[in-house]
Amino acid sequence: MRMPGFAEIVETKELLQTVVFASVAGIGVTAIFSMAIWGVARFVDLSQEDRRGAAAAAAGVAAVALLAVAAAIVIGVIVMTSK
Amino acid sequence: MSSDVILVIVIGAALAFDFTNGFHDTANVVATSISTGAARPSVAIAAASLLNFAGAFISISVAATVANDVVDAAAITPTIVFAGLIGAIAWNLVTWYFGLPSSSSHALIGGVVGSAVAADGFHVVIAEGLLGKVLIPAIIAPLLAFLAAGISIGIAYRIIGKQRPGIVSRGFKYGQVLSGGMLALAHGTNDAQKTMGVITLALIANGSLGAGADPPLWVIASSAAAIAAGTYSGGWRIIKTTGTRIIKMDAAQGFTSQGAGAAVILASTHFGFPLSTTHVINGGVMGAGAAKRLSAVRWGVAGNIVVAWVLTLPAAAIIGAVAYAVTSIFGNGAVGPVVVTVAALGAILAAFVRRAQRGAPVTVQSG
Repeated sequence: MRMPGFAEIVETKELLQTVVFASVAGIGVTAIFSMAIWGVARFVDLSQEDRRGAAAAAAGVAAVALLAVAAAIVIGVIVMTSK
Repeated sequence: MSSDVILVIVIGAALAFDFTNGFHDTANVVATSISTGAARPSVAIAAASLLNFAGAFISISVAATVANDVVDAAAITPTIVFAGLIGAIAWNLVTWYFGLPSSSSHALIGGVVGSAVAADGFHVVIAEGLLGKVLIPAIIAPLLAFLAAGISIGIAYRIIGKQRPGIVSRGFKYGQVLSGGMLALAHGTNDAQKTMGVITLALIANGSLGAGADPPLWVIASSAAAIAAGTYSGGWRIIKTTGTRIIKMDAAQGFTSQGAGAAVILASTHFGFPLSTTHVINGGVMGAGAAKRLSAVRWGVAGNIVVAWVLTLPAAAIIGAVAYAVTSIFGNGAVGPVVVTVAALGAILAAFVRRAQRGAPVTVQSG
């Protein structure tokens, strides 16, 4: 009986894609969401210091980061349902 | 007539397994949200139940793997599937009894492989499928979740390190509503499909479906309903282990472990790898704890969990093989499955009574 090689047993390409997708999504979404929290925290602090311009910029960072997280979730669901 | 009776028993056993899967694996989905206070237990479990139901309809890649890639579908009979399910249910209940978050997925695959080997020998096992689709992803997935959660929490702490703890904690608790939802959806897509795959396998074995057929809609809907009902019932004993006994986690760690877990499960589901959601989320929890401080992880508890993981496939396979041997004593008719079902129900009842006599169950209040 012929023993199959490692490359025949393991779907290397699909396994590698799983690793890359999961790493990018898992780490990326956390980093972006942390930026959103940073933006909100800075917005609160800067508003209390009456630095309106800087506070608005921090709020902008938070808003963009939250939109990016929402987009990542939607893309994730679309990718999952596309097969 | 006899084969139809066996088929009905098999479908009942498969849905019972799906219920225990939801019941057993509720911890994976909700434990971190509950332990950090991101969601009330009743709300977290109800939401997880609904999202598990929805997730079951998203994809059938994993079901196809379970039905066609692990054992030779042509050699499978409904009695083999039945015995495999008994092996999986028994192992799920044993690990629930001891509060260990083991893998329902590997219990199911181990049970079916064990009963198939007992019936026909080792040649019915598709080694490539078992290794490439189950065992190797089983090793890689929790390590990947461990690393992703560990790196994520390191980045998160660097970004939000100097900000007010109150705002940061509230922010990550809101985030956990999202990450917990994604995890529940991912759990439904990956885990409910295993039951769909097994029922499909039984239908093919009975001649009710052609070889290689996809699960019919009623199979998808009933599997979704069973896992959702099991999730709603909640397994508080395992929620306590995952949520508080591995590490004492903060909201950021809860968010990163759920986020990393959801990403790994969704990616694996897309490619049809039937991995263990239990392994993945516990790997994420350990990674989030170890990145903060190695001693933050209670390695003794983690070691017990790892031992349960390693034992799951062979233990479920042995129980599945014994269940097949006992069933076949009564011939090929429906008597064997009926006798084994009655015996299994008796054993389950005895375990519940014994557990109740030895102490109050772990509940939302005590857990």
